Order: sequence, then structure tokens, then C-alpha cells
Amino acid sequence: MSAARLIARKEAGELLLSLRGLSWLMAVAVALSVFGLLLVSNTELSLLDNAQVVYDMVAIVTALGGLLALVVGLDAVAGERERGSLVALLLTPASRDAILSGKLGGIAVAWAVMYALALPYLWAVGSTGQNLREAVTILAVLGSPVVLGFGFFGMALGARLATARTALLTGLIGLMISASPLLLGPSLRQSAIGRAFDVINPISAAVNAYDGVIIDSQPVLGQWPHALLAAAWLVLALWLARSGFRRVAR
Amino acid sequence: MKLVGLLFALGLALVANPSSAETLSVDLRPAAANAASPQMGDRLSFRTTIRNDGTAAVHGLIAWISLVQLDKGKEQPVDLEDWSAHKAVTAASLAPGQILETDWPMRLIQAGTYRVVVSAVSRGSAGLVVSPFADFTVRQKPVVESQRVLPVALGLPLLIAVAMLWRRRRR
Amino acid sequence: MLIEIDGLRLSIGGVPILHDVRLALGEGEIYGLLGPNGAGKSTTIAAALGLLKPDGGRVRVFGKDPWMAGPEIYGGIGVVPEQNGFYDWMTAEEYLAFFAQLHRRDDGPNKMREQIAAVGLEPRPGQAIGTYSRGMRQRLSLARALVAEPKLLVLDEPTNGLDPRGRRDIHDLLIELAGRGVGILLCTHLLDDVDRLCRRVGIIAEGRTVAEGVIADLVRSERRLARFRLRLIGQPATMPTEIRHVSVVAHEGEWWIVDLDPEVTPDAAWRELLFRGWPIAEIRRESGGLDELYLALTERRAA
Repeated sequence: MSAARLIARKEAGELLLSLRGLSWLMAVAVALSVFGLLLVSNTELSLLDNAQVVYDMVAIVTALGGLLALVVGLDAVAGERERGSLVALLLTPASRDAILSGKLGGIAVAWAVMYALALPYLWAVGSTGQNLREAVTILAVLGSPVVLGFGFFGMALGARLATARTALLTGLIGLMISASPLLLGPSLRQSAIGRAFDVINPISAAVNAYDGVIIDSQPVLGQWPHALLAAAWLVLALWLARSGFRRVAR
Repeated sequence: MKLVGLLFALGLALVANPSSAETLSVDLRPAAANAASPQMGDRLSFRTTIRNDGTAAVHGLIAWISLVQLDKGKEQPVDLEDWSAHKAVTAASLAPGQILETDWPMRLIQAGTYRVVVSAVSRGSAGLVVSPFADFTVRQKPVVESQRVLPVALGLPLLIAVAMLWRRRRR
Repeated sequence: MLIEIDGLRLSIGGVPILHDVRLALGEGEIYGLLGPNGAGKSTTIAAALGLLKPDGGRVRVFGKDPWMAGPEIYGGIGVVPEQNGFYDWMTAEEYLAFFAQLHRRDDGPNKMREQIAAVGLEPRPGQAIGTYSRGMRQRLSLARALVAEPKLLVLDEPTNGLDPRGRRDIHDLLIELAGRGVGILLCTHLLDDVDRLCRRVGIIAEGRTVAEGVIADLVRSERRLARFRLRLIGQPATMPTEIRHVSVVAHEGEWWIVDLDPEVTPDAAWRELLFRGWPIAEIRRESGGLDELYLALTERRAA
């Protein structure tokens, strides 16, 4: 087995077999459950249009996925460095790129687990309505690059900043700014600054694509401009992670 | 929403003034497939026929759909954002006698009684042309059902808690 | 030579940490790297392992520049770093198998159990590393360093947290490894460990090698400095720093260890001290040893 696959498998184990990783999964599952329970217990919310409910759930899954990926990415470098386990890994014959690939693979596994975890919730709130299948598809197509980008961004911060706490705080602020369209909605686009932010923000790209596909029943393939922005974000975050990781402990 | 309301009011005002009548006419009919008593989440469609009844071509034609809620105490124009992606249609020109057929699909988002109207205007026209009204009522429907949500919302965290307990026992 | 370091200079964030460090370690040798906290021992190790880029000087491991070679040389090196972190959810066997595979070794579970036993680790079946005591973690760290049967071992405080029996076991293991030709760089505060294991040492103070060579030779050369142990029947009336030609190396209760400059005779020095209010009751000539050598070299530097 290649070093990258070995490390990716270890990272997956860190998420699925360690109490720390399981706690993170528990936190995102509880957040999705709370939203689901709000939908059935709140009269106003329970009357929301079905597509709107699915859209909201997909947007929440993306934001939580971004948060999980950010934390996993941070922990893979800054967390391991502070726990003292990173040096032993760096002093193996595995190349820096192989170690980096393995850790990126760990982030991908975390998102895959999060995605699988979200499917029952999407089914529960959206199976009687329309566009559920399209929602699942657009979440994979647009949500994946956006979420993975935040994981890579977390790695870059963990590699460049002195402590895990500083990196976490910086990452959370970045994620909150990026996820602000989820809170502000279309009103964000009423100003020139808001529109400009909408054009460059990866979460806006995902949310606008979700809106098009789930609410407006547009074809998934028609979302390519949004997909392009998400892909650009992924490439930028990957570059930041790679250049940062090369400097770790050096 | 304010803009839609303004346009709608403007439309009504212009209709009330026959002296500004154009050579265009707009006809609006519900699609035959529309449910008689639709509920939230259903789809309705309306068809308009815009005809140039004049002798000269009409240039720069634009027609748009407006929706207003008529329930007592809730009278308001409706933001079509979530209802439909088909909010307007344009034509570069419409020759004399030529017609423009357009379908206006929409998904029913909220319960209530609504009125649809399509307005048209051209670059050279002095006034607005509006279609007849089409009214419909949407029944309420709870879209999120607790018998599906509860098992998932409670079951998945429970499953993860069991996994955590199993790992803790190993420790 | 497994490691050759000469004239090493290194800065971190623009702050000079190492000014002039030298070190040479051959096959089958256990070399002690000594120095006070913050002297630059761990930085020297990091430079030797290619984790930090030197500003100048020569660093070679297996004849290669470790900064450039990187993972190329790591196959032959086992490391016990100062800060030991593990994947707490794994068992020792899983942990060692993971590192063995990273070293491209296809050792089975029996080999892993042998490695665990070799360092005296006795976990319960299926016991997660997170539950290990400090001593068990230290042994596991050593087992990880040995997993690829390295030619060079770099050990930073390897007996930290071990009880006396554990320390003796690890000493025996290191002696056995050196007997098999493994070169061992031992960085520690425990001078007893160095006394027992090493023939040669390097002493670093404030980023400089202040002594390097065979312990016995260094001790002998340092004895040219006159070191005495004085027993006082009360506190001295004068601060030690105010007395010319006499420097205080250590102070343990009523005993004071002092070095005399070569240009002053002991009798003249004692007269001066008595005159300055030192209530001297007893004078003993100090016997030399690694402790004194270390204290003399590092304290003199600090002064």
C-alpha cells in the first residue's frame, strides 16, 4: 500500500475510531437532527415548501461539512504538531507530498462520511417533494469542492500559524464570513460589495447553484459557472495547503 | 416585492384608462392539466397569447407575470423568487397579426388565494396592456412528516453514541 | 561517520540559536549530547534530521546533506523526539505496523509483538495507547524508532518517565544495539545515563559546542582548573561575584564549589576569602567527573 493511502487510512481511523473524531461526527449529527426536529415541531417551518426545506438542509450540510473539514484539516497538521505525533510521521521515508496527499485523503473521507450521514436527513425531510435526487447530485457536485476547499484551507492555516488555537480561530472567522449568505440570503446582493462578494465566495457559488437546481428546477449541468468558481477555490486552497505543508517543522 | 406591487398598481391604473389602449392584446388561461384544488408543492401553469392587433409591427416587447395574494388581511404582492423561474418573456418584434404564446409554470409555495395577471409593454407603446385575471386557491399541506424525521433525527446520533461507547470500552 | 556536524549556525525567525556546533558520531558509538535547557540541543538534532535549515556550517548524515536529502535518509534513522505524541486510539501493534509499512516493511504481527517485547512493553491485548502510562509511552516511542532496524538512533531524553528498572532495561538495549553497529546520538539531562553509556560527549552552551571528545580526556583537561569544595559555618559576608580570581560553580547547603583562576594560588585565594568574611571551616580538593565537567563548562558560559 502506498504511503499516501496508508496515511489516508490512518486519518480515516482518526475520524471513525477515535473518540475525538466520533465526537465531531456526533456534533454534526446533532446539528442536523436539531434542524430536522425544528422542521416537524415548528408549524411555520413545517409548512415550508418542500424544495425550500431540502434547499435549507443541503445548505446546512454544506456549512457543517465545511466546518468539519476545516477542523479535520487543522487537526491533521496543527493538532498533530501540538500533540507531538507529527514529527514521527515527517521522519519516515514517505515524501512530504505523500504525507500531504494522505492527509488530504483524510479530509475527503471526512466529507464522504458527512455526505453519507446527510442522506438520511435529506430523505426524511424531502422524500415526498420534488428535486430530492437533484439536491443529492448538486450537493455532491458543488458541495464537495467547496467543503474540501475548506479542509485544505484548514491544513494551510494549521501549517502556517504558530498554534492550533490561532489557526482554528482564523479558520472559523473565514468560514463564518464565507457562510454569511446563508444567514443574509438574497439581501446580501442588494449592495455592490455584496454582489462582488457573491461573485468570489465559494459558499455563495454552492448556495446559488442549490437555489437554481432545487428551488428553480434548473438543470445541474447549467450550474457550470458556479462549479467553476468552486473548482477555483479548491485549487487555491490546495496550493495554499501544499506550500504551507512543505514548511511544516522546517 | 414593492416594485412588483407598483407595476401591478400601475397596470390596473392604465387598464382603467381606455384612451391609452395599445394595439396589443393579452389573453391568459390556466392550463388544462392544472389541479382543480391544488395544494402546496403542486405545480400550476398558465398560458398567455399576446397578439399584435394593429397594422404596424411592435418592437421591443416585454411581458411579465405578477402574482398577488387576496386573503383578507394578507393582501400583498408575492415575490415570485421561490415560485417560478419564468418571470418574464421578451420578443424583439411582433408583426401585425402575429401572436406570442407563452407558458408560465409555477410551483405553489404557500397556502392562500391568489390572482395571476400578465402585463405587456413595447418600446413604442404609450401604455401597459394587461391580461384578464386568473384566480386560484392553494390548500395547506405539512411538507415535513414527523414519522420520517424522528427516527432519523434520533437514530443517527444514537448510532454514533453507541460507536463512542464501544470505543470507550476498548480504552 | 554517521553524523558529522561542523561549525553549524542556525537561526529561527531571525533569532540566532546555534552559533558554532560540532559533533561526530560513528557506527557502534553512543554519543552524549549535553547542555542546559535552551542551549540548542534539540535544534541541533532538528538540523541533523533535516527539519531545520542551517544558516551555515556543515551537516552530513550518512554522508548526505539532510536538508536536501530529506526522506531519502529517514529509512536508516530511528528517532525518539523530545515531545512524544501517538495515535491514542490505536493499539501498540497497530501503531508499530503503521510505521513499519511507512518504512516499506511488510512485517507481520509476530514481528510487531517482538518489537514490543524488546523494549519491555507489556500492554493488555487490545489496549489502546491512550491508556498507557508515561513510561509505557516512552518504551513505545523507542519501539517505533527501532521498527525499521535503523543504522542511526537519535534519542532525545529517551529514559524520561522510566523507573530505575526501566532505565536499566533501556541502557542494556542501547548497549546491545551499539554492539550491533548502530550509532546512537543520546541527548539527555541525566548525566548518569551518559556516564554509563557514552564514551564521547559534546557539551553545548548558548548555541556553541564548549567541549567535545572522549569523556575521560575532557575531565582530565578540565582539572587544570582548580576546583575546591568549601564548607562554610554561616553565610559569606561578601557576594561571590565581587571576589577576584574565584568563581562559584555551585552552592549546596553549607558546601560551596569554587573554581580558582590559574594565576592565583589556593593559599592566596583562601586568605582573600577569609578577609572578605567567608567563614571557611573545611576545604576539599574536588575530584573530577562528568558532573563537574558539565557544571564547569556550562556555568562558566552562563557567567
